[in-house]
Amino acid sequence: MKSTKENTKTLFESWVNQFSDELFSWAFYKISSRETAEDLVQDTFLSAYHKIDSFDGKSQPKTWLFAILNNKIIDHYRKKSKQFIISSNDYLQQIKTTDNFFDEHDKWKKAADNDEQHWLDNPEFNTILLGCIKDLPENWQFVIQSKYLLDKKSADICQELQITMSNYWQISHRAKLLLKKCIELNWVS
Amino acid sequence: MKKMMNIIMLSCKKATELIEKRWVTKLSPVEKIQLKMHTAVCGQCATYEKQSEIIEKSLEKINKQENVPMKLSSEKKEQILEALKKTK
Repeated sequence: MKSTKENTKTLFESWVNQFSDELFSWAFYKISSRETAEDLVQDTFLSAYHKIDSFDGKSQPKTWLFAILNNKIIDHYRKKSKQFIISSNDYLQQIKTTDNFFDEHDKWKKAADNDEQHWLDNPEFNTILLGCIKDLPENWQFVIQSKYLLDKKSADICQELQITMSNYWQISHRAKLLLKKCIELNWVS
Repeated sequence: MKKMMNIIMLSCKKATELIEKRWVTKLSPVEKIQLKMHTAVCGQCATYEKQSEIIEKSLEKINKQENVPMKLSSEKKEQILEALKKTK
């Protein structure tokens, strides 16, 4: 007869085979880095293994593993936001890069050459938009990702990034201007 | 009078700021009126307002979409199984 420990190992082997793809897809979708997503999946299984006693068997193993993974994802963002705080002084400098959108009277410098109606018609729009987000300064990407990927309230994001609400919407504003410009530049009509 | 006009008429930069601020927090009644008056006469900012909405809605949609199923590389799977084996 096998020991309990060996039973657990066999159980985990089957879980890795059954659930690792789904866990990985989810992590990749939330993090958009293959390497980090892979590591988080590994961490998830290892943590699960260590606290298998807390798994009561009432919930599905998949649900339980996903709950662990989600906590890992949030931790990952938290760690990242700490890096963000250190570099948040840079953001004022980055803001300057968007100043050339307006002239000395703060009016638009250049007439918009394509209107939003075309934006909606282009099936490539989302692809262009995603590419443009990747071009943003990393900490701005982080602001945008926190908002949508973690589905967070503005107040929570500000608290985690330790920025004021007004800094937060200023970053959103600048990020949006850069996105608009990038979309227009990458436009193939 | 000039001072009055300055209060009423926003610059484009300020107007676009208010357009973005609205996604984050509520505008004050004065800001709402300022923005309405500006976009009524400024075509470029009116366009920007629509573009901003499209970007916002698209981001929301992209992120609400079901994630595309992906496979964890078999190397990583092996690695995980190996790591589990070594764990006490």
